[in-house]
Amino acid sequence: MFDPKLKEALSHVQKPGRYTGGEPGSIYKDKDKVDVRFAFCFPDTYEVGMSFLGEKILYELLNQHENWWCERAFMPWLDMKAEMEKLGLPLYTLESKDPLTAFDAVGFTLQYELSYTNILAMLDLAGIPLYAADRDERWPLIVAGGPCTCNSEPLAAFFDVIQLGEGERQLPAICAAIEQGKKEGISKKELLLRIAKIPGVYIPAFYDVTYHEDGRVKAITPNEPGIPAVVTKAIIRDMNDFAPPTNFVVPMVGAIQDRASIEVLRGCVRGCRFCQAGFLYRPMRQRDASLLNKAAQDLCANTGYEELSLSSLSTSDHSQLEELLDDLNSWAPQEHVSLSLPSLRMDNFSESLIEKTTRVRKSGLTFAAEAGTQRLRDVINKNVTWDEIEKTCRIAFEAGYTSVKLYFMMGLPTETMADIEGIADTAQKVVDLYYSMDHAKGKGVQVTISCACFVPKPHTPFQFVPMDTAETLQAKQKHLLESVHSRKIKVNYHDSKTSFLEGVFAKGDRRLAPALVEAYRRGCYFDGWEECFQYDTWMKVFEDLGIDPHFYCNRAIGLDEVTPWSHMDYGVTHEYLVREYKKALAAQTTQPCNRACGGCGANHLLGGPCFDYSKNLV
Amino acid sequence: MITVRIWFEKRNEASYISLLDMQRVMQRVLKRSSLPVWHTLGFNPHIYMTFTCPLSLGQESLCESVDVKTEAENPDFQAWQDKLNAIMPAGIHVFRVEPARDKASEIAYACYTISYPAAAQPRLEQYNGLTEALVEKKGKKSKKQIDLKQYIPALDCRTEGEKVSFDVCLPAAQELNLNPSLLTGFLEQQLGASAAEASILRTGLLKADKTPFCAGGGNV
Repeated sequence: MFDPKLKEALSHVQKPGRYTGGEPGSIYKDKDKVDVRFAFCFPDTYEVGMSFLGEKILYELLNQHENWWCERAFMPWLDMKAEMEKLGLPLYTLESKDPLTAFDAVGFTLQYELSYTNILAMLDLAGIPLYAADRDERWPLIVAGGPCTCNSEPLAAFFDVIQLGEGERQLPAICAAIEQGKKEGISKKELLLRIAKIPGVYIPAFYDVTYHEDGRVKAITPNEPGIPAVVTKAIIRDMNDFAPPTNFVVPMVGAIQDRASIEVLRGCVRGCRFCQAGFLYRPMRQRDASLLNKAAQDLCANTGYEELSLSSLSTSDHSQLEELLDDLNSWAPQEHVSLSLPSLRMDNFSESLIEKTTRVRKSGLTFAAEAGTQRLRDVINKNVTWDEIEKTCRIAFEAGYTSVKLYFMMGLPTETMADIEGIADTAQKVVDLYYSMDHAKGKGVQVTISCACFVPKPHTPFQFVPMDTAETLQAKQKHLLESVHSRKIKVNYHDSKTSFLEGVFAKGDRRLAPALVEAYRRGCYFDGWEECFQYDTWMKVFEDLGIDPHFYCNRAIGLDEVTPWSHMDYGVTHEYLVREYKKALAAQTTQPCNRACGGCGANHLLGGPCFDYSKNLV
Repeated sequence: MITVRIWFEKRNEASYISLLDMQRVMQRVLKRSSLPVWHTLGFNPHIYMTFTCPLSLGQESLCESVDVKTEAENPDFQAWQDKLNAIMPAGIHVFRVEPARDKASEIAYACYTISYPAAAQPRLEQYNGLTEALVEKKGKKSKKQIDLKQYIPALDCRTEGEKVSFDVCLPAAQELNLNPSLLTGFLEQQLGASAAEASILRTGLLKADKTPFCAGGGNV
């Protein structure tokens, strides 16, 4: 039975099932018989973390080693955090209920800049010193992975090991080094030197950063012999080497994404210039349809899920998608499994695709138009035209859909108020299209505009551009609302203040670490949650520490400037980013890379061309 | 088609699965088991499932049950039990599968064992000296005053190691269903015995004539 303190805490909190473990698919081992204990920490709530596919991949991979045990921990919600602090209950993993201090390594996934303070909160709840420099050999190794490690500099002081790129080979290699290191009884420093040799591993303590007087980074240099000046991300060359996980821990408290999910491809051929994932995961690599079909069937059988999602950055770019859907449809309806494709492109969305995905259950349709005018869509290289939007909506309406959600961004480079009006016009034209077609009498249409604030991100051609100020974004939001004249159109937009903070940490450097600690000390965590976000506290922290947050996100970065992330190599060359940036300003588009190679440099990661251009792939 | 009653224990981790979550968990477990359970015939077919007497969050039970239907002839219920136990979440253990005989509406009482740390015994025993124990039961629409003494005249405490326990039997019918948390709440507010330290274990379900519900009614 549970520890009495834990039982008491659970009796006082909402949804205690988030903190108990024991879900079908969770893995229990005898802790006395394992050599490496790894705590996989997700710095947000259980419901968010249990929706994350990466954790499922690595949980299965690590636990396949009989003598390693990977367990899970999540950020407790406010009520549980308060109970744990009151009762002196350290943060524990759901499986063994052991505190994080009992582990050899504690890994965090960096998914979102506004979850950084939660990492500090989780370390603190576990009683682990925040700064890596304050931790000797007695403490677990604190490890980071995930997309935000592409500029993890604001967190560099807290982590011992940071993983760039894909974890399938890298994380097991780190665990193997830990196992070997424990056997030999080597020092933490010696262990870190060994781990630094694993592809894609970045040890922040082995680098020194110097700054110009005006605050820009001057140089980033290794301070240990044998440490590379630039760390190149880890990559899985052939996705067929790793079948998607066929066992999930199935949450009992409903997760946000509570369904079977298989990753059909990784990376994206599109080259949308705002999209960080599109640059971080290059080149695009897909899994074979037959492998995917088998994995999907096993996964549904093992989990009991009734919904299967084909996930990726752009699922309709899979060259065997129709074949895969036919395979899936040969068993899914009998098994009461419905299919969903969350990331479809409007330019290759077909009637047969919609028919194949809605055989069991009809869900809503969401399309990312991203910008309201063709000129701006060309700037961001989102190669979608109004004709394609119209065609897609026509197919959807004919199939009986009556609600469409359109994603846009505001604050894009070169954007004017005319582009904002274009967002409202696009939505209005969709409404007009619906009423120009045959539709059920009395059945209206609902078009939802969901408008995010654009945050320039590292490793993209837009890393050089300043982010719109909060004032500008608010003026644009106001103008959008005024441009909408139909009750059939609903407008949702993001809070520009959270986007501002996201922008600061996305392009931040090591000097932001004290701000994170101070903000956490003053009660900032769950910054990504509207009800918890304390903008004024953050601004006061920056002011008190003499940090100008605008320096990081509202300032144009010179094309020849040393960025805080210039020692991190994701395969795409600096020259390519500059070239794409200049093309963007001229509103020139770039072909998807499976049609014509743009020369971004990522093909070197594969040791050859990314695609066989002699075949017609699209 | 017959209705099949699946009896299970819900303990430890599983005591924190709410009824709503329990429905989802059971749906997935039944689907994984590939047992021939009947699906509803609507537009979104799903497994037909009824929980007989849902338990509050955080309470444990030796006698939970869920009814499903099957068109299978002469199902091998022992095989059902084994298949389900192989894939149940931690804390749930199926101990019997049988054709449902008694209707759920025949449940009249639920019996519980409530345990506290031994130190709580003097406070608990003060209850026995009270002439009345009024609590407020909140319904969906109205609030009702209830005298617990009417249902639980005294707490018959017994010491088991570091624990002190007593048994109670409370109405669990459609017309009146009393949650044992009313008692632990009263004991906390009036007598200072922390409700968070109480463990509540449901031990049995009874019919109006105080005979066990269904064949033997769980483990009791």
